[in-house]
Amino acid sequence: MAYAYLFKYIIIGDTGVGKSCLLLQFTDKRFQPVHDLTIGVEFGARMITIDGKQIKLQIWDTAGQESFRSITRSYYRGAAGALLVYDITRRDTFNHLTTWLEDARQHSNSNMVIMLIGNKSDLESRREVKKEEGEAFAREHGLIFMETSAKTASNVEEAFINTAKEIYEKIQEGVFDINNEANGIKIGPQHPTTNSTLSSSQGSHQAGGGCC
Amino acid sequence: MTACSAACLPACVSSVWFVFPRSRTELDERPRPLSACLSRRGAASPCGGNRSHRPVEPRRRSAMLTRVKSAVANFMGGMMAGGNNGDHPGGSDLPLKYPYSRPEFLGLSPDEIECSADHVARPILILKETRRLPWSTGYAEVINAGKSTLNEDQACCEVLVVKRRPAGCSTPNRTSEDLTFHYWALFDGHAGSGAAVVAARLLHHHVALHLQEVMEILCSPGLLPPTCLGEEAASLRGAAGAPGSPSTPPTRFFTEKKVSHESLVIGAIENAFKDMDVQIEKEKSVYNISGGCTALVVVYLLGKLYVGNAGDSRAIIVRAGEVIPMSAEFTPESERQRLQFLAYMQPHLLGNEFTHLEFPRRVQRKEVGKRMLYRDFTMSGWAYKTIEDDDLKFPLIYGEGKKARVLATIGVTRGLGDHNLKVHDSNIYIKPFLSCCPEVRVYPLAQCEHGADDVLVLGTDGLWDVLSNQEVAEAVTCFLTNCDPDDQHRYTMAAQDLIMRARGVLKDRGWRIPNDRLGSGDDISVFIIPLAYGNKQS
Ligand SMILES: Nc1nc2c(ncn2[C@@H]2O[C@H](COP(=O)(O)OP(=O)(O)O)[C@@H](O)[C@H]2O)c(=O)[nH]1
Ligand SMILES: [Mg+2]
Repeated sequence: MAYAYLFKYIIIGDTGVGKSCLLLQFTDKRFQPVHDLTIGVEFGARMITIDGKQIKLQIWDTAGQESFRSITRSYYRGAAGALLVYDITRRDTFNHLTTWLEDARQHSNSNMVIMLIGNKSDLESRREVKKEEGEAFAREHGLIFMETSAKTASNVEEAFINTAKEIYEKIQEGVFDINNEANGIKIGPQHPTTNSTLSSSQGSHQAGGGCC
Repeated sequence: MTACSAACLPACVSSVWFVFPRSRTELDERPRPLSACLSRRGAASPCGGNRSHRPVEPRRRSAMLTRVKSAVANFMGGMMAGGNNGDHPGGSDLPLKYPYSRPEFLGLSPDEIECSADHVARPILILKETRRLPWSTGYAEVINAGKSTLNEDQACCEVLVVKRRPAGCSTPNRTSEDLTFHYWALFDGHAGSGAAVVAARLLHHHVALHLQEVMEILCSPGLLPPTCLGEEAASLRGAAGAPGSPSTPPTRFFTEKKVSHESLVIGAIENAFKDMDVQIEKEKSVYNISGGCTALVVVYLLGKLYVGNAGDSRAIIVRAGEVIPMSAEFTPESERQRLQFLAYMQPHLLGNEFTHLEFPRRVQRKEVGKRMLYRDFTMSGWAYKTIEDDDLKFPLIYGEGKKARVLATIGVTRGLGDHNLKVHDSNIYIKPFLSCCPEVRVYPLAQCEHGADDVLVLGTDGLWDVLSNQEVAEAVTCFLTNCDPDDQHRYTMAAQDLIMRARGVLKDRGWRIPNDRLGSGDDISVFIIPLAYGNKQS
């Protein structure tokens, strides 16, 4: 599919907060309770529409383990948006946000839009972090905030799309230099041709079967 | 899992005489858009002039990078849209034999492949947690920093089962077992990804075909390969038969060279390379197979590792922390005398524009008549000669180290493909100087003991350009000793660590590794093969 813009996102946060599940819920609209541990980086992509324009989101899902930190750090570069995720049932994942944020700010471009996500909102009974705490943290650091559930899909679309809207607005305001690829934004191909025979045949060559 | 499937197949598919890991239908692929290659690997202009193929200067880099990036976007956009933009310079109207892809065992979707082609963040791709390669082999790769739109390295890892030829060809009452071999390969493409993609898909089938021809002999370790196959039955029976058997081999009146089983395998690998190269040349008329590639292959067969190398990738064994080199690079410098001799014997290959002699620098017109240092194909040392007009021509081999070029064009002297490669703006073909013949080295794996940290490391030149054998050995050993010996993924993690060390991190002045050394801006691919699995096998 042709797109007007391509935005690159990165998902960061401690191991087990639900980064990979959020990605899968957004790209595949399904929840897979047992997820393989992300080692290194995995990718997903989906097309969305903002303001009547097709926008392709390219999402990088990173490993949360400390041992991968030096590797995943280099992936902030060229990201237009970041989803910083914690688990509302695990206070330690909330406590680590400052470290993640410092890391992100230091290694990304200054315009990167950061969305703070308190995930697993379906587990109300096991909640350890109040919604107000998340809101306060976001306000203090200039982030957008949402609570989501990768399991019930609650707010998942919104989280990804609101981030895109924020980026889109920044483009309209001229904040982003869209010609600098280090900003994580690409303008779509100028002359998208449609050859349905070819595009349908490509689907069958897809390796691995997993659609992202 | 994917890669092992071949090993389980033959029992159920007895009609095949050897198993293709993937279906044959793969051979007819539909056309796909392939973007232009923006810079040729190792390409420089003849005469060192201000031609477009000069390596990119740092100042022009960012502009170049932007162009490369938009080319990626356009190509990928085109690919996703399924359209053939077909507007790339130097492109071909012919269909691709295989679409551009990443190694099959990574199991990446087109979207994932698109994401991975990021020259700014340069993500390190590794084998996913859910996937296993034979012997728990580790694998990691990273794309270049912008020198070409696509990652021109390719890799393959398979277990193949060679079955006996269809009945009727050979002694039908001998039931020899199937022959299983393990195969790993790295290909480093230049001037396009076509040849590397084709070689990654097909070279192992050529190896299998050639092994099949000699498999009965290979499966009879007690018998030397017969000199002449027509006499095979007699000599086999004669040697193995009861004493006093009437079919004693006839007495010979001349001495005969004894050829080992091992050298039959070496010959099979060498001929597989040759056949692969011929196939690429033939299919050039019906398919768009761009560029050329180096090839480094490892075959594990009957207790021995065979490492075949054509190009500048490298294989080393790290055993108890010690390095055992398993390949040597073929470069204009290492192959100077072969190339000079060829040019001396067939001067027309130089098209009257090059001289086969080597001088320490370009000869200037005003130096004609003076005496200058030179060397010919007969020499490894230097001597003086009186400069003539002919010596003003551009030298066949020019430049030093990584910048050394044959015919001012290519920096690697062995590999597959490149049949259409010419000196820029001329009709001089490079191919006659390139050889597709690998050097094959043998390691008697089963005869040696190996611990969990003893490995064979394969890497494309992106790795070895910035890390020495010793540094690689130390890094791998250090990494492996610090991880759980039962962790199946430790070799992939070690490969990722190696790539990280070679790629470095992006600083203001480009990719850097510790001590402010320059990181590799090239495509980098690494296999780490634990040798202890070979011991378990045999
Ligand atoms: N109940 C609930 N469980 C979740 C949710 N998101 C993820 N999980 C679970 O949390 C665990 C870790 O998820 P994963 O996506 O692998 O985390 P990651 O390490 O951040 O990628 C898995 O067992 C998921 O089933 C959610 O929204 N609700
Ligand atoms: Mg994960």
